[in-house]
Amino acid sequence: MADMDFDEILTGAQGELRRGTLVPACLLLLRRPGYGYALIAELHELGFNVDANTLYPLLRRLEGQGMLASEWNTEESRPRKFYRTSPDGERLAAELLADWTRIDRSIRSIEMGDPT
Amino acid sequence: MSTLADRYVWGVLRAVPERQRADLEPEIRALIADAVEAREASSLGDASAPGDAASAGDAAPGDAAAVERAVLTELGDPELLAARYTDRSLYLVGPSYYLDYRRLLGLLLTIVVPIVTLATMFAGFIAGISITQVALNGVYAGLSVGVQLAFWVTLVFALVEGRGTRKAAPLMAWSPDRLPSVPSSSRLGAGEAVVSVLASVFVIGVIVWQPPFYIDGRTVPFFDPALAGSWLAWFLVVAVVEIGFTIAAYAARRWTWTFAVINAILAAAFAIPAVWLLQAGRVVSPEAVAEMERIGAGAALAPTAAVAAMAIVVIAGWDALDGFLKARRTAGGR
Repeated sequence: MADMDFDEILTGAQGELRRGTLVPACLLLLRRPGYGYALIAELHELGFNVDANTLYPLLRRLEGQGMLASEWNTEESRPRKFYRTSPDGERLAAELLADWTRIDRSIRSIEMGDPT
Repeated sequence: MSTLADRYVWGVLRAVPERQRADLEPEIRALIADAVEAREASSLGDASAPGDAASAGDAAPGDAAAVERAVLTELGDPELLAARYTDRSLYLVGPSYYLDYRRLLGLLLTIVVPIVTLATMFAGFIAGISITQVALNGVYAGLSVGVQLAFWVTLVFALVEGRGTRKAAPLMAWSPDRLPSVPSSSRLGAGEAVVSVLASVFVIGVIVWQPPFYIDGRTVPFFDPALAGSWLAWFLVVAVVEIGFTIAAYAARRWTWTFAVINAILAAAFAIPAVWLLQAGRVVSPEAVAEMERIGAGAALAPTAAVAAMAIVVIAGWDALDGFLKARRTAGGR
């Protein structure tokens, strides 16, 4: 198989693997209140390549589901919508983290050749 | 004059429901403003801002219009952004309904289009219009009804999709009972071959024998003597070739696309002249027609010819179509 093909397959598989990790990442980061664009910068630094046109709708959806609370901050030069993880969002993040740990353990055990 | 950003915001807002607009507008404005700010910062050399991988370098600091343009380009189609905000689907018929849609449309098309085509042609035969006109009318009616069906079925499914809940169940639950049966054979069966040869022998027999027409105590030739030299010879040849072809196809043990094409050509070689002659009233001898009219059965001539023409079209059409279906089954990796 050509390397070109492998890189393409890798990018696709990584994209699928990471897709769901954006929600726990946002919930955990927004324990400290933040606005959309600052969150994008933080996520980029942490290696999550997410675009504004994906993240903003996601934040709004999480807010609609009650996982995030929002508040317009008008103290700075421009009004900005600040999000903060709600108690329900904390619970969701905890559940997702627990799931993450289980998946990690399973994958490791398979890798070690002890799939029980 | 409104700025690009204003137009972008409006582009998003007009694609979301009215009641969400007031809420969404400041959010999108803030998004654009923050993105512009980040891009200006990055073009000044602050590499930590997001979006610096794109073409921010082109914009000279302070070139606000170029920065705004770059930001909006990166945000992409406002309707796409609106769809993400509202969780609206960007397709007419999605995965939950697509199979139902395709099956229903396929079923309707394969049933309704042939019926409408044949019924239109039948009406044309009865009316005694030219064979070309009959064929054109049939094709036109079939196409029209096919396009109409495709449009309305798609419209209904798109409406159902648009109003559907997020976790829509298929219209018809699937069960193993709905599995297709495996096609039994993709070669020409012995039964089919025998029927085909017998039909050709029958045609040859009728042509050679020239059946007399007994009517009201008299005997007149049934076929128009004018046919004898040219057209009857043609049908004779076609029938003989058909027998040879059938035997060859049976012996080959495998039905191929070539066979399907030859089969269709042979069917057309018989059906088209036969229907044309029937429609032109050149099959039955003038004596026989005169006798029919003498006993008052003249009115039955045209409908009988129409029914005969129709039967020829249906049988030849099915024969040709069946050949292609068979070839497709064979080509389908079996």
